[in-house]
Amino acid sequence: MTQPKNDNVTPFQVDLKKLRSTRKLQSEKELSQMEERAAKKGFNSRESSGTPGRKPSPRTGQVHAKVLPNVSDEIKEEKNRRGVVQGVLIEEAWALYKREHGL
Amino acid sequence: MPTIVIASPKGGTGKSTVAVILATEMALLDIPVTILDTDPNLSVTRWANAAKLPNGIQVIGDITESNIIKMIREHEGDGKIVIVDPEGIASRKMSRAITQADLVITPMRPTSLDADIGAEIINLIEEEEEALGRKIQLAVAFTMTSNTIISMQERGIHESLVSQGVDVIECKLALRSAYSALFATGGNLYTMPPQGNMEAAKANAKRFAETVLIRLEKGNTNDPTQK
Repeated sequence: MTQPKNDNVTPFQVDLKKLRSTRKLQSEKELSQMEERAAKKGFNSRESSGTPGRKPSPRTGQVHAKVLPNVSDEIKEEKNRRGVVQGVLIEEAWALYKREHGL
Repeated sequence: MPTIVIASPKGGTGKSTVAVILATEMALLDIPVTILDTDPNLSVTRWANAAKLPNGIQVIGDITESNIIKMIREHEGDGKIVIVDPEGIASRKMSRAITQADLVITPMRPTSLDADIGAEIINLIEEEEEALGRKIQLAVAFTMTSNTIISMQERGIHESLVSQGVDVIECKLALRSAYSALFATGGNLYTMPPQGNMEAAKANAKRFAETVLIRLEKGNTNDPTQK
């Protein structure tokens, strides 16, 4: 038994022997079932799972520009046909653009 | 020793205040405590860094979803009461902490909003108890209450909870300047510079911690599965 050191308003004692941990969820199965139920109530992961967004290109270190779906499909078909990456086509397109505009 | 999880999916209900008051009062009773500060706001860590930690208290931060269960198991086995202070948001980290709790305390300010959001924890625990056949002791703690009057809203929420069989801690943690100042001064109510009515703050904190300890004792007495 232990008694408080602070100013007593009423005497209080606590039996430390009774302050013991009870049986908890132990198995992975129990825990995952609990998590499934909790997730349905909105208790989801709030931690970041890594850097969000598209990964930079390994060739240039750049993130590819987003284009309209039909343009994307056409570029994809062409780069597959030629066996190059999309960036090569964009570089060629940019060279044409500069030539056309006198840049 | 047991684990207490201070859980509310809403911020600003006084979770960290409850954690610090419980830890400091228990330490005064020579009961060693480990606080796991899992809140990214690190309120408890700030309190811990503001002054020398009172004897018998350890604060551990850097708790993630993946290590929270391991950390609780590790520290409840070392002869200390573990108090977990999660972020005020429904999260996997919070639900994982609840799986390891001997007592879940849901702090609520006496407002309908706090009561509605706090009910999510109550529902989650009820569902778990039903599914697993394991009793998870839950108690609602009213926090930041008026020192002088009980509002109609507070009375209504209290009656509603009790009528649904929810355990409401009879000692409320009142709104006191000493409790909020603790986070700036560090230490405990006996070492901090006086703030407002210190004697009332000390008496309230002491009584609050006692009511929680009584629940931990009773909870174990009623639990045949205790190890």
